[in-house]
Amino acid sequence: MSTLVIIPAYNEEESIIATVEELREQAPQYDYVIINDGSRDRTSELCRARGYDIIDLPANLGLTGAFQTGMKYAHRHGYDHAIQFDADGQHIPVYIENLVRDMEQTGADVVIGSRFVTQNKPASLRMLGSNLISALIRLTTGKLIKDPTSGMRIYNRSVIELFASRDDLSPEPDTLAFLIKRCGMDVVERQVSMRDRHAGESYLTLSKSISYMSVACSSILLSLWFRR
Amino acid sequence: MSLALRIFLFANAVVVLLFVAKQIKKSAFETADALYWFVLSSSLVVLAAFPEIAFFFSNMLGFQSPSNFIFLAMIALLLIRDFRLQSDLIRLRRKVTALTQEIALREHDSEHQASWKKTK
Repeated sequence: MSTLVIIPAYNEEESIIATVEELREQAPQYDYVIINDGSRDRTSELCRARGYDIIDLPANLGLTGAFQTGMKYAHRHGYDHAIQFDADGQHIPVYIENLVRDMEQTGADVVIGSRFVTQNKPASLRMLGSNLISALIRLTTGKLIKDPTSGMRIYNRSVIELFASRDDLSPEPDTLAFLIKRCGMDVVERQVSMRDRHAGESYLTLSKSISYMSVACSSILLSLWFRR
Repeated sequence: MSLALRIFLFANAVVVLLFVAKQIKKSAFETADALYWFVLSSSLVVLAAFPEIAFFFSNMLGFQSPSNFIFLAMIALLLIRDFRLQSDLIRLRRKVTALTQEIALREHDSEHQASWKKTK
């Protein structure tokens, strides 16, 4: 079974090298591709100098478009699994193997690298948002996803095909709800741990968090009612 | 309505119509869009010349004043326009996204073929 690690990167010059080096060291058995989402810093230059496999988007598309590029690549090259992996160093490559193994054993369509399967959620404002999204997904699909906002997820071939052929799927919680409810897909979670970001600031300021939450919540509801 | 106001409105409507006609001639619009602006600006000229039309319809439908009727009609037309523009924009955005991805993927493939040939 072939697995592709998709690393969307937008202005990640400070962390991309460390992320890829760690990935090559801890999970060398998997192919990876960096999707440079029109970065204006030296992300592409640094990666090319080191001979990393990188796809350069000529314009900035945002996470959805960048991730979809990776899914199209995985689809065209016939990969069985694709993993969404952050460039900023939050995700730890050792866990990739667990997620792949879980997917093969359970036959699930999506396996989420979750922070809260065996660990409890800390009480913070951000986790309040996470709980709200969990509750909405539970309400609409009947399934409990403890860590819907985790950016570390592995998808199987049929989901790769969906992402590659549709243009309205984002690597966000509302897509999980859509996959469960409308496509009858099986989504499971597995415990992983994550780090704080290596570099840069988190883009979740208060106003952005509020807009992220409202978009996430409304698109969970809307996508289930209107999307085909 | 004072005569000065009527003349002012009529002159403006004519200017808009001339502007639209000129743009259509330069084929800055697609046919369907050109038709919309042409009909809209011509009806402004007709309304400015014969405001009785607006009075007639607003009385018939029971509006408090003709201006309310005109405002409502204009807002409705603009909303329809806005809706169509937005759906055009979404289609364009999707096409641009698909093209951008395609360029990047092909570029990547050809780079790899080149390096593969070199090592061979």
